[in-house]
Amino acid sequence: MRKIIHLDMDAFYAAVEQRDNPALRGRPVVVGGAPDGRGVVATCSYEARRFGIRSAMPASRAARLCPDAVFLRPRFDVYRRVSSRIQALFREYTSLVEPLSLDEAYLDVSDARAFRGSATLIAGDIRRRVRTDTGLTISAGVSYNKFLAKQASDLDKPDGLRLITPDQGPAFVATLPVGRFHGVGQATERRMLALGIRTGADLRRWTLPALQGAFGKRAQFYHDIARGVDRRPVQGTRVRKSLGAETTFPVDLREPADMVDALAVLAERVAASLNARGLLARTVTLKVKYADFDQISRSRTAREPFRSGAGILRQVEQMLAATEAGPRAVRLLGVTLSALESVSPAGGEQLGWEF
Amino acid sequence: MKIEISREALVPALQAVIGVVERRQTLPVLANVLVVADEAGLSLTTTDLEVELVARVDLQIEEGGQITVPARKLMDIVRNLPEGASITLTVDQGRAVVTAERSRYSLATLPATEFPTVEDIGTTEPVLLPQGNLPELIERTQFSMAVQDVRYYLNGLLLELEPKLLRAVATDGHRLALGELSGSVEVNNNQQVIVPRKGVQELLRLLDDSEDEVRLELGSNHMRVTLPGLRFTSKLIDGRFPDYQRVIPKVEDNVMLADRDTLRQALVRASILSNEKYRGVRFILDKDLLKIQSNNPEQEQADEELSVDYPGTPLEVGFNASYLLDAITVLDGQQVRMGLVDANSSCLLQDSEKQEYRYVVMPMRL
Repeated sequence: MRKIIHLDMDAFYAAVEQRDNPALRGRPVVVGGAPDGRGVVATCSYEARRFGIRSAMPASRAARLCPDAVFLRPRFDVYRRVSSRIQALFREYTSLVEPLSLDEAYLDVSDARAFRGSATLIAGDIRRRVRTDTGLTISAGVSYNKFLAKQASDLDKPDGLRLITPDQGPAFVATLPVGRFHGVGQATERRMLALGIRTGADLRRWTLPALQGAFGKRAQFYHDIARGVDRRPVQGTRVRKSLGAETTFPVDLREPADMVDALAVLAERVAASLNARGLLARTVTLKVKYADFDQISRSRTAREPFRSGAGILRQVEQMLAATEAGPRAVRLLGVTLSALESVSPAGGEQLGWEF
Repeated sequence: MKIEISREALVPALQAVIGVVERRQTLPVLANVLVVADEAGLSLTTTDLEVELVARVDLQIEEGGQITVPARKLMDIVRNLPEGASITLTVDQGRAVVTAERSRYSLATLPATEFPTVEDIGTTEPVLLPQGNLPELIERTQFSMAVQDVRYYLNGLLLELEPKLLRAVATDGHRLALGELSGSVEVNNNQQVIVPRKGVQELLRLLDDSEDEVRLELGSNHMRVTLPGLRFTSKLIDGRFPDYQRVIPKVEDNVMLADRDTLRQALVRASILSNEKYRGVRFILDKDLLKIQSNNPEQEQADEELSVDYPGTPLEVGFNASYLLDAITVLDGQQVRMGLVDANSSCLLQDSEKQEYRYVVMPMRL
C-alpha cells in the first residue's frame, strides 16, 4: 500500500497578498484579472469566498458579487519564490514530488525515513514548517492514492490535515457525488446523472462491460475509482513539453461570445500553470471540436513569448475567428502551450502595460 | 504609347518607387510598375496593396497610353545603360520595348486595368507642413512600434493632428515613444490615425530635411503624403490605439539628471555583460550617484559608477538596456532627465530642457 500526501496552499495568491500587506487581512481579496476587463479570478481569499466568489469566475462577475473586494493583479515572481521554498522543503522528505501548480503537489512518502515513515506525522511536520518559513498555511490530505489524498486535503480546508485510511476509502468514495471524481468533468457528470449515477455507490453498481458501453476507454478508470482504486503514480521528474486545458461543454456552444468566455477561462488556467512552472511558451494551439465531432487545431508561434492569460486569450480569440466556430456549433474548446522555455533567473521579467 | 526620356530623369523616379515592389507577390501584377503617359507627363506607380507610391516626371509625351512592366527588370536595365542615354519606351503587340542607342529590350506586360490603384481617399482637411521636422519626428518615435504583435494596433505609428500640433506615438507595450511638432500645423478638427509599420518605414525613406512643403491628407482608411514629384499613400490600421496618456507617469518622486553621452556610453558597456536576450541592467541610485550593474548567465559582472544630479531617495530599478539606449540615443541634448517612481513603475526619459520628445520605459524585475 502506498502512502501519498497531497499538499495544497490555502487561497495561495490571496494569502501571499494578505501576508505582505496587513491592510488586506480580514478583507475580501481577489487576485486575477481586472474587474473591468475580460480576466478571470485566479485566487480569492476566504473572506471573498463568502460572497460566492470562486476561482475561474470572470472578474467582472466577482466585482458585482462583492463591490468592496480588493482586486489585485498577480505577482507571479513573488509566488514563484514562495513556491520554490516550499517545494525544496517537500524534497527534504522524499524525491518523489509532483508539483501540480505553484501551490499544490503530490508527495509519495512510501519509502520516506522521517518519523519512521508515518505519512500523517510527515504531513503535520511539513504544515508546521511551511507556516514558520513562509507565514502561510497549507492543507494536507493523506491517503493510499492520489485521488483520495486530494479529496482528503479538501475536507478540512483551510489549515487542515485529514487522513483517509484504506479501510475508510471505499465508504468515502461511495458517498461522493460523481462530479467530485477525478476525470469527471461537466460533460461526463451530465451523462452520468442522466444514467442515474449520482454517487460513487451508484457508479460501483455498474459492471465493467456496462461502463465500457457507456464511456468507452474511460470505463476502466471509472470502474477502479468507484472502488477507491487509483493507480496513477506520483511522477517525480516529469519534463513538460506542453501544457494544455480543454473543456467539453454540457451544451454545444453557438454564440461566439460564449466561446470567447470559455477561452478566457482556459487561457487563464494554462497561464497559471505556465507561471507556476516558471515557464514561457512560444507556441499556442487552439483545438476546436465541432458538434459533429469534426476536430481541427490551429497553432501560432509568436516572436514575443506568451506569459499571461490576456496575451494567450488575444491570440486564440483571433485564431477562433478564423475557424467555422459560430456557423457551426462547438462541443469542445482546448488551449495548449508548447515550445516551452524557462524564465531565465538571470534574465528577469520585463514589465509591461495591458493594452 | 511612346515616350522619350533621359536615363537621368527615369532612374531617380524608378528608384523612388521601387521600394514597395516585393520580391514575392501574391498577385503577379504587383511585380510591375504602372506606367502612365498623358498630357500631364509621365507617372510611375508601384504598390504592395498596403503602400502605394507614385512618381511624376514632367515630360512632353509623344503618344499617350498606359501599361504595366516588370519593375525590377526595367529598373536594372535603365540603371545599367550608359550615362546620358536617351531612352525610348513603346508598346508593341503586348510587349514593352525599351530602346537606347543600339540596345533594345522587349519586356512582358500586363494590362494597366489589372493594376490596383488608390485614387480618392476621402480626405476631409489637407494639412501643409514643412518637410524639415517630419523625418525627425518619425525617426525618433518609430523604433518603439511593436513587431508582428497580435495587438495589431501596436504594429504601427499613431499620428494625431490637433490645432497647432502633430503628435507621433509608438509603443510595444513595454516602452513608449512620443514626439510632438508644434506651431506649423493648421487644423480645425482633431484627427487620429495609425500608420502601419511598412508605411512608416517607406515614408521615412522618401522624406528629407529640405524645407519643401509636404501636403498631408488623412482619410478614413488611408493616409496620403504629397511631396514634390512624389505621392505616398498608405492604408491605415483599423483599430483603436490604447490610451497612452495613462502610462505616462504624472508624478515623479525621484528625478535624475545625467550627462547624456556619459550615460549612453556606460549603458553600452554594461549591457555587454547582460543577458543577451533580455538585456537587463540594474540602476542603483543614491544621492548624486548612479551605479549600473549587470550580470550574465556565466556569472560575469559589470559595474559602472556615474556622478549625476540626484537629490532623491535611494532606489534600485532594473531595465532592459536596449530600451533605455534607444531613447537616449535619439535625444539630442547635453543632459538627459530621468523621472522615476519605484522599481515597479514606468520611468520617463526626456531632454533636461525640452519635452517635445518623451520616452516611457517599464522596468524589469531582476
